[in-house]
Amino acid sequence: MSSKETFSQISPSEFFYRNRDLAGFSNPTRSLYTAVREFVENSLDACDQKGILADVHMSIKAVDAEKPDPKQYILTVRDNGPGIESNHVPLAFGTVLYGSKFGLKQARGMFGLGATMAILYGQITTNKPVIVKSSTDGKIQDEYEMLLDIQKNKPVILKHETKEVSKSGLSVSICLEGDYAKAGTKIRDYVYQTSLITPYATITFDDPKGEKYRYTKVIRTMPPSPTIIRPHPHGIDVETIRRMLLDTNYQIPAVDNNMILKVRKELGLANKNLSHSEIMDKTQKKWKTLTRPVRIVMALMSFLKMDFEKLSKTTIEEIDIGNKKLTYWDFGESQSISIDMDPESFYYKQLANTVQGETLTSFLTKRFQRVGPTTALKFAEYAKFKPEQRIGTMTNQELVKLTDGLQSFDDFMAPDPSCLAPLGESPLKKGMERFFEPDFLEVVQRGASAYSGFPFVIEMGIAYGGKISSRGMKVYRFANRIPLLYDEGSDVVLKVVNDTDWSRYKVKGDPPLVIVSHICSTRVPYKTVGKENVADRPEIERELKLALLSLSRKLSSFMSKRGQAEAAIKRKNLYSKYIPLIAQFCTELAGKKKEPNYKKMITEEPIVEEET
Amino acid sequence: MKKKPKKKAAEDKQNTLAELLKKHGAQIYDDLDKGNFPKFSIPSRSVSNIVYDKKIRQYILGTNTAVRSSRNTSQLRAFTQLMWLAFFANRLTGQKKSSTLRDVYYSSQAFEVDFEDQSESDNIIVDLEAVLSSPRESFHVFPEERSSVFGDLTIEYTVPGYEGKKTNLSDHPDGYAIGPSLTSSEFTDTSAEVVIAIEKGGLFTRFVEEQVDKKFKAIIVDTGGQAPRSTRTLLKRLHEELSLPVVILTDGDVYGEHIAMVIKSGSANAAHLRELTVPDAKWVGVWATDIEKYKLPTIPMTESDIKRCHDLLKDPRYQEGIWKKELEVFLKIKRKAELEAFSKYGLTNITDKYLPQKLEIAKSL
Repeated sequence: MSSKETFSQISPSEFFYRNRDLAGFSNPTRSLYTAVREFVENSLDACDQKGILADVHMSIKAVDAEKPDPKQYILTVRDNGPGIESNHVPLAFGTVLYGSKFGLKQARGMFGLGATMAILYGQITTNKPVIVKSSTDGKIQDEYEMLLDIQKNKPVILKHETKEVSKSGLSVSICLEGDYAKAGTKIRDYVYQTSLITPYATITFDDPKGEKYRYTKVIRTMPPSPTIIRPHPHGIDVETIRRMLLDTNYQIPAVDNNMILKVRKELGLANKNLSHSEIMDKTQKKWKTLTRPVRIVMALMSFLKMDFEKLSKTTIEEIDIGNKKLTYWDFGESQSISIDMDPESFYYKQLANTVQGETLTSFLTKRFQRVGPTTALKFAEYAKFKPEQRIGTMTNQELVKLTDGLQSFDDFMAPDPSCLAPLGESPLKKGMERFFEPDFLEVVQRGASAYSGFPFVIEMGIAYGGKISSRGMKVYRFANRIPLLYDEGSDVVLKVVNDTDWSRYKVKGDPPLVIVSHICSTRVPYKTVGKENVADRPEIERELKLALLSLSRKLSSFMSKRGQAEAAIKRKNLYSKYIPLIAQFCTELAGKKKEPNYKKMITEEPIVEEET
Repeated sequence: MKKKPKKKAAEDKQNTLAELLKKHGAQIYDDLDKGNFPKFSIPSRSVSNIVYDKKIRQYILGTNTAVRSSRNTSQLRAFTQLMWLAFFANRLTGQKKSSTLRDVYYSSQAFEVDFEDQSESDNIIVDLEAVLSSPRESFHVFPEERSSVFGDLTIEYTVPGYEGKKTNLSDHPDGYAIGPSLTSSEFTDTSAEVVIAIEKGGLFTRFVEEQVDKKFKAIIVDTGGQAPRSTRTLLKRLHEELSLPVVILTDGDVYGEHIAMVIKSGSANAAHLRELTVPDAKWVGVWATDIEKYKLPTIPMTESDIKRCHDLLKDPRYQEGIWKKELEVFLKIKRKAELEAFSKYGLTNITDKYLPQKLEIAKSL
């Protein structure tokens, strides 16, 4: 054992660099595909969020076309989205774990990490910078050339220039080691299927061989965008609760110049310098009109016994309600000072309330979706908490108990689906119509449902015949408008489709049949980190089954009508072929000259008779 | 002593058939003319509808019938095929032309009546037999295989170009092939008193050489193994029109015994026909009991011989008399002997010694 062993913190960039397999950058084939996905999905998400009908243009060009795969490719994705503010660009593309998508609503990617991972991968394999061009106003475009400093998790800007443009949007271009020979099929499938589930977007792809794939918008209206909502109690864990307590409960106010200005203004003392006791008098008179942060500052001042000038030279370090101690840092004396707080004081109670946080009932009703006062009280009884208990005073054990209670209490209302963004029946139908040109097409959107506190909606479409090839049933799987291409076998959608007895719906052999399944959820229960197959949660499986059932019933009635029509034509053809022969033969047998008058038998629509 | 057979028997049959065809044709013509889909019923030939009739001693079809309708699209093709065959048979008989099963299959192609293969057309031929209750030879569809006949029988041809011409079947020592012209001829004259059907061509030749026809006043028929239906029809006609007893000589094994049985009572396959049997025909040898009696050289029975023995023991026709007894002896000795085995005692032993004894026994059977 070495005693010289050292421990050092690694940066997030370094962590991802060492664990890039996790994020889908394990080999040149997979990496090229993952990079395409990350950039295209970022573009679509950005446009969706701003209600812009996306135009996404993607191109992959070989740096040296003559070389065999794997080799260096330049991947460029350009969109007409909102762009990124110039000063955010270096951080957004030059650091890992810098993202904007941390709210709770449905989006394609979760945190926007993938794009940075792709950039990182490109840099590792080719040592070439990323080129980002962004315009937010459609007039000025900022162009950055950057590298990542992996150890420091910081961008290194090589070049920054601006120029005038006529359109807003973002363009990202990286150079990376890839294998298009192997990844090509998947990438083309990805572009094709993404266009299918995004009928309001135009997506184009220029591949390294000069092939151009164009999928233009089918519809010009955007499906309603999802709203960010509060979490549902069933979907909570201890860590989430702890964070919620931290960021709501209270923050030790920063007593900086801005805050002092605000305090002065509310007390009507903008330009006056009063003594401590004068200030506190004023405070008592104005108390009811003061805002919450100002009340906290005043409560602190009552114990600090300082005027504004002195206050501006201190920082509050700790408010220890239990021990009634207040600790602050005095810049003037450069030391930490603790003072006692009088528990009988009016200001102490104010401070205590703030520090201990809101009551349990208030916390539940304000911080969670669909929890009213009645439910909150019922829950408190169920979980054996006092409704008025301050959440700030909870111990770790109590937090665990609270979390368990939240997860298991059955009387919460179902999760609010307004955070979901299903495509909608009409857009789905139009998309499928355009892609498959079928003889039969039906779509269904199920009502919202939930598993483990996460709401989800199933959309499904079924298409038959027309230009669909008869090579058997094809299932297109989507989750949150992302196509799932790998690991079909273990997916819950496939399971439901395969469990269906298709002969009951008059579907036989290798039917020209397409099923499109779209699962929308704030959290899709993927089986693996690769996000390619959905686990079989009973709630989801049930909804999928019901969706498929309603569609296959409609298909079945279409099939029987079609079957009848086909049989009628077939019958007529058979009669036309054979009846004249019978007539010819029996005429000679009967010794007649003229054939019998059978014409009407083959021209009239024949009556359906049971085949025996 | 010359026998005078009933005249014009063959011709009468042809006329009846032609009328039957015309009747069916007219019926279908009327249906079509009224705009109705024609249909007719065919006796069902499924195994469940084949029963043994003790009275007439053969397998016959039961009362089940299948309706074949031209309205039903799954039957329309077969209906048309059957109509075509009737039409074709009508032409064949009308023009006195003959054909074979294979001919029929190819002829259909000239009329856009598509048969998938010959077995499909063969099947339709059997359907027409069932509808008309007549063997296919009656509508001039003849088997490929030919057996032979020899003996003092004068026939008069009815086939085109030979009408009225006569031949005596003892004029040619190789015998006469039992083909369409012989089958459709009229029997005019014979001095024979017995018909000897023999399983093998080799023995047939020996019998002619040894003048069995003269010595025993016999017409000798070579069945060439399992007797073709034209041969069975000939045997039946010889028996019925000339009142000649028919005796059968086969190899001494279970298959030989069954050859005799088929001549006597037909086969399940032909249960729809009643003109192919000679119920009074007698199997005179070689019996299993003859093997020991004449000390014939033998060969062991194979497993399939033994299995066949057990199968036949379940057949209602093998439940009595020599039929049952001989099967049981075969099973006991598990050996069999061919007709040629008699050559051990000299080439003429079979005609000099065995045949006279057997013909004597036949009278008491």
